[in-house]
Amino acid sequence: MKKTNKYSITQMGAVNRKKVFVVIPAYLEQPSIRQVIDELHREGYENIIVVDDGSPDNTYAEAHNAGGIYLLQHMVNRGKGAAMRTGFEAAKKLGAEIAVAFDGDGQHDARDIQNLIKKIAEGYDVVLGTRMKDSRGMPFVKQVANIIGNMVTWMLFGILVSDSQSGLRVFSRKALDLIDTKGDRYTYETEVLKEIARNKLSVCEVPIRVIYTKHSQSKAVRQGFVTGLKTLVRLIISI
Amino acid sequence: MLNIILRTIIGLIALSFLSSSISRFLRRAHTATWFKLMASAIIWISVLVLSIFPSVTHEINRIFGFGENLNTLIFLGFVIVFIIVFKLLSIIERTERTVTDLVRKDALRNMIKVSHEKSKR
Repeated sequence: MKKTNKYSITQMGAVNRKKVFVVIPAYLEQPSIRQVIDELHREGYENIIVVDDGSPDNTYAEAHNAGGIYLLQHMVNRGKGAAMRTGFEAAKKLGAEIAVAFDGDGQHDARDIQNLIKKIAEGYDVVLGTRMKDSRGMPFVKQVANIIGNMVTWMLFGILVSDSQSGLRVFSRKALDLIDTKGDRYTYETEVLKEIARNKLSVCEVPIRVIYTKHSQSKAVRQGFVTGLKTLVRLIISI
Repeated sequence: MLNIILRTIIGLIALSFLSSSISRFLRRAHTATWFKLMASAIIWISVLVLSIFPSVTHEINRIFGFGENLNTLIFLGFVIVFIIVFKLLSIIERTERTVTDLVRKDALRNMIKVSHEKSKR
């Protein structure tokens, strides 16, 4: 997919951070959300949007206590896809030129964001973080599930990536305006890839670190085998 | 004579539902997908074929060993249940989407900016 060069190469290291918005969908992230926000602030990201997806715990309060963020709350749980979309709508309203999807469970390393943003500055529309270039530490079951997800994505939508379920992604404004996902829950990650293919957006992958914390592994809602199967059925029905 | 009239009516109903499904798909209606079109086509073309060639059921009965009455009842029941399930799925999908849209509008309207100073309290 051909990329368009919107930014000059000399601007690569100096993308206007004021136009970069980090969107964090948060559900049951009370143990980790404050730390995630603090880490992003330390890396210099001031425009952080947290969308609490109807968490029954104190996710909202913890995010509020962290401060230095835009905070939204879904009155009922609607799923990660819905929360991401709400966050992106907020980012567009606030004038974002680049939006970063970042998980709230502490799995991602904020230092990786800069490497993805550099690719946007080079002209790519979407940059996907991939955990599979160095999957050390990733549970074996997750690796297998990821490979299956990659094959399914390729078969259904013709786009082959090494980590179809990665939550760390960066979008240009053009991509934000064109990507129109319908899935509220776990079909979201794959649906984004479908939209990339449909809109012929330029995309590349950048290796990222993965941090498997006790919290991210113990979360009640995870992409287990049954959920994966449901996701596959929903994807097929939505073609 | 009555037989022919009933079969004609069933055939026309099948054609009507089939063309409606195709039309919705071609118009790219919000909930129209390939899966629904294929499923709908299989059902309504089957009904249409059976209304034109009813003796096909004898062949199916012979192959599967069903009693004639049971076969007919099962088939009719299946079609009715299929219609109801499809309708329910569409309603659920529409409702889910509406709920999400409302929740999103509310969240965006009530978005707040929390300053760094507030976190120090």
